[in-house]
Parts: sequence; structure tokens; C-alpha cells
Amino acid sequence: MAVDFIAERDLQRCLNLLRRQGEVHAPLRDTDGMVRFGPLPTGVLPDLTAVRTLLPPKKYLLHPRETILFYQAGSGYQLPSGDVPRLILFGLHPCDLAGINYLDQVFLGNEPDPLYAARRAALTLIGTSCAPDQFCSCHLRPSPLTASCDLFLQQIGGGFVVSCGSSRGVELLETVTELIQERELTPPADTRSFFGQQLPPPPRSELDPALPDWQNLAEQCLGCGACSICCPTCCCFDVLESGGLDGSSAERWRRWDNCLFKSHAQVAGGASFQKDRTQRFRYRYRHKYRGFGQLKRLPSCVGCGRCRAVCPAGLDLRPLAERLEGCAP
Amino acid sequence: MKKLRLAITGLTACSGCQLTLLNCEAELPQLLEKFEFHYFPLACSPAVLKGRYDAALVEGCLSMPHERQLLLALRSQSQLLIAVGSCAVWGGVAALKNGTDRELLRRQVYGQSRTAVGTFSPQPLQSLVTVDAVINGCPPEKKELIGLMSGLLLGSLPVPNDQPVCSDCRMKENLCLLTERAQLCLGPLTLGGCEARCPSQGVPCEGCRGPVPEANLGEALELFLQKEYGRAIVIERLRRFYPEWKS
Repeated sequence: MAVDFIAERDLQRCLNLLRRQGEVHAPLRDTDGMVRFGPLPTGVLPDLTAVRTLLPPKKYLLHPRETILFYQAGSGYQLPSGDVPRLILFGLHPCDLAGINYLDQVFLGNEPDPLYAARRAALTLIGTSCAPDQFCSCHLRPSPLTASCDLFLQQIGGGFVVSCGSSRGVELLETVTELIQERELTPPADTRSFFGQQLPPPPRSELDPALPDWQNLAEQCLGCGACSICCPTCCCFDVLESGGLDGSSAERWRRWDNCLFKSHAQVAGGASFQKDRTQRFRYRYRHKYRGFGQLKRLPSCVGCGRCRAVCPAGLDLRPLAERLEGCAP
Repeated sequence: MKKLRLAITGLTACSGCQLTLLNCEAELPQLLEKFEFHYFPLACSPAVLKGRYDAALVEGCLSMPHERQLLLALRSQSQLLIAVGSCAVWGGVAALKNGTDRELLRRQVYGQSRTAVGTFSPQPLQSLVTVDAVINGCPPEKKELIGLMSGLLLGSLPVPNDQPVCSDCRMKENLCLLTERAQLCLGPLTLGGCEARCPSQGVPCEGCRGPVPEANLGEALELFLQKEYGRAIVIERLRRFYPEWKS
């Protein structure tokens, strides 16, 4: 079949052409050996072999801490304003694209979140293919989420097979048209399931609170919160307010929260809907594998493997999911 | 608006927490506009504790008899009493040797001095009085102190934080010293809010802000032992700022 192909040696030129459309951010290996999404300096190539970045791209859409409302006596409430820079995220793996797809469903649904919506509209997503490692489960567990993006670069020998996923992608492709070669080849099929499969939804039955697994997990968990901070689809946040020293101004802000923390399900007076970590693990599992709220029955785990890779106690929900959801290990 | 009348002082401590407040240079003019620093011996002398206070901010732990009298006076004369810093909240570094005989320690430090120094095992403020709110840290973050002050103006107290240092550290996308470098980092056991200052500089967390609620000490100990840290070293590190960790 005829495909659009960009040679590996043209990648730098391709990135320079893309730069004209917005600041390019991509996975970069820092001097400490860790890979993070960050602004790509001119002349530097992104690390397209790294399996995962420390934080997922959700950091561009939901900041770890951010002010969501200002108050000033007299003038009242005001939403944060300011320019949202146009960013091109280059080198997103299918799992991270599926993660953004999930976040879109949460934050752009019935009542869109204005901060998220503005940042999302300013993002261009360019995906690349990758090879899973021992922490990944994208190739083992099907997902109902879609790895939607503007452009997708499938890595094959010597370069990339390019495909468009949106009209924005078509426009972008035109800006790099000088680098596109037409080739006759059949790219290997991606066996992973982020491309809009119809899957049977998870069972309606409740998760048994008496399963010993919840307690086993809770006993080993150090409560550091890394699993959810590094998860591309964990998006719970806590909302706090603080006043200014002038006594007449205030702001409301939010920060990433974690369902394994004591305060997560705590309400006024100290009562809690999830009293201990055992209950909280069941809750976390439900979100990742069964879905809840408006997205009930939409599993949110995209198999990126970050929770397993970062857990100091080496906890892994996969064996339990294999048992309860009946999927391949 | 009438200025809020404050008493700010330290018991057994290094004055670092009070200094952190004095180091908020940018906010000092506004603070002076809104508060009357009536009793603040570190900053203004002479200082005489007299009348009613809207709030008392107390740094340090209790370790000498006269401090009990002072703390009781502060409590009875103040609407609110706030423990500021790890010594006031947990006992802190002064309580490092709480497992050792006090008389022995007194002799080691003061010898056979004829003027006996009255001293007892350092205790947090709440061992004697009701504490309305706490600000953790050694020293606390400036923004937490300023947050406390602006909260007082609005009649509110700081919301207790239960997120660990790891949470702050991961949000900053730092390299994890515990998992990637097998260092003795107390991040998972320690209350955050410090923006992971030490791990962000490549220095493992020493636990200065005290234990997180529901700290899983058993598993953490197990993990440190697996990483080949001796039990004694781990316990010593754990107790540097919070003497109550039991092995």
C-alpha cells in the first residue's frame, strides 16, 4: 500500500518545520537519566526509545497546583485569565493518547472545565509507536479508549509512516510536505487496542469488599501517592481556599489528590466514605478497571505501567485484574 | 478593622521558626498594618505578657519548668494557640534523646554545676495544653506562616495537610531517591507541604515535618532493610525529628 513516509534523518528538519506552528515539547532524557516531557531545544532530538516519561502528559492539561478562581471584595469572583500557549506534544505513545482521550471525556463532558478546555484547544498531539516493556499492559489488556491524535508516526526501519487523525493533522502534514516520501509498503499492524475497538463493558456486579486482596494491597502500600500522580487518567483534585493578607482578597485553588490518602473521602466533621486503606484500594481498583460516576463501566487503565514502575513497594494490580476481569495476563 | 493582638514566642528551640516569619520581608509592612505584635521577645523588647491575645504562636517544645508556666499563661490569655514548627508539634530535635536518662544527660552537658538546671524530657505543646492548629516544618515554609496569618484575619485556621513529601516530589517530577537510588529517603512517611525541598536538591528526606497520618512504618522499615540499611541507622534517622517512632 502507498504510505506517507518521513526518513529518520529528516526528523530534525521535520521538528524545525513544526516549531513554526507552536512550541514543541517531547520526551527528553535528562542528565539524571530520567525521561520527562519538556520543551525541545533546537538541535536536540527527542528520546523516542524511552518507554515512558515520569509524569504523563496530563501535566499540560491539569497543573499539579493551580488557582481556579480569584475573589476581590467589591469586584467579586474572577476566573484566571492569561494566554494559553500553543504547544505541540511530540512523541506521545498510544497509552498516553488514550489517557488524554479519557481526560477529555471527564473534563470536556456536560460541564466543560474552562481551564482544561482552553489548554486542550491549544494542544496539538503527535503520537509515535513504541515497544512495551515488562511494566506495560497495553498489549495484554484491551481498552475501550481511543488513541486519538492529530498526527501519528509509526516507527519502522529507517523512518516513520505518517498518518493523520484530524483536520489539524492534515494541515500540519502540509507544512512538512517537502519531507514526505511516498512509499509502497505495508506497515506492521499495531496489535494494541487503542484504536476504537468495541469491547464488552465490565461486569455490573459490585466488587466484593471481603476479598482479601484489598487488605493485602493496603498492608504493603506505603501511601506515597506516586501511583496516582503518575497515572495518565487519575484526575481527582482537592479544592482549597486561602485569603490574602489584605483581608479582602482570596483565591480558590486545586491540587492533584489521591484516593489512597486519608483526606480524599473525608468530609466535614472528620467522617469518611473510605475509612481505611483497604476500602480505598477497592475504590481505586474500581476506577481503573470498572469506571464510575458518569463514566461508569468505562475502564480507565491504559496500561502505561507507570504505577508499577514507580511504586516503592512494587505493587501491581494486574494479577487481580486478570482474575476479576478475566483478561489475558 | 481593629488590629489582631498577637503573642509570639519560643520555648526550647532555635528560634528558626520565628526567624522565618521575620524573614518574610515583603509581607512585613502588611503584617504590621493588620497585627499588633504585642508580645514578641525575639523581635521587640521589652516584652511583657499582659492582657488578652487573639492568638499565640508558639515555637519549640517544653523541657524546663518555667516553660510550663509560660505556656499555661499563653494558653489562658489567648483565644487561639498555634504550635509552630516541628519542636512545638512533635518534640523535634530537642527530643532526640528522650529514651536516655535525663539526669545522665544533664550531668554530661552541665557537669557538677551547683546551679541545677531544671530539665525534663522534651514534650510537644499538646502534652500540656490544647492546641488549636499546627504549622509543621523545621522551619515551616514562609507561605504556610503567611497563610496562617491571612487565615487569622479571616477567622480561619490552616487545613491540616495529609499528603506525604513523596506527593510533592512526584508532582515536581523529581528523580525518586528511594526507588532509583536506593537512598534512605523518608518521603513516604513524612508530611509534605515543603515542596520536597530536600529531594529536589538530591538530598533524601530526613522527616523534619513529622509523620503522615496512617504512616506504614512496618512496610517502610522492611523496604529500608531490603535496601541494606541497618535497623539502628533507620531508627536513628526516623527519630531525628519525631521521637515517638517505635521500632
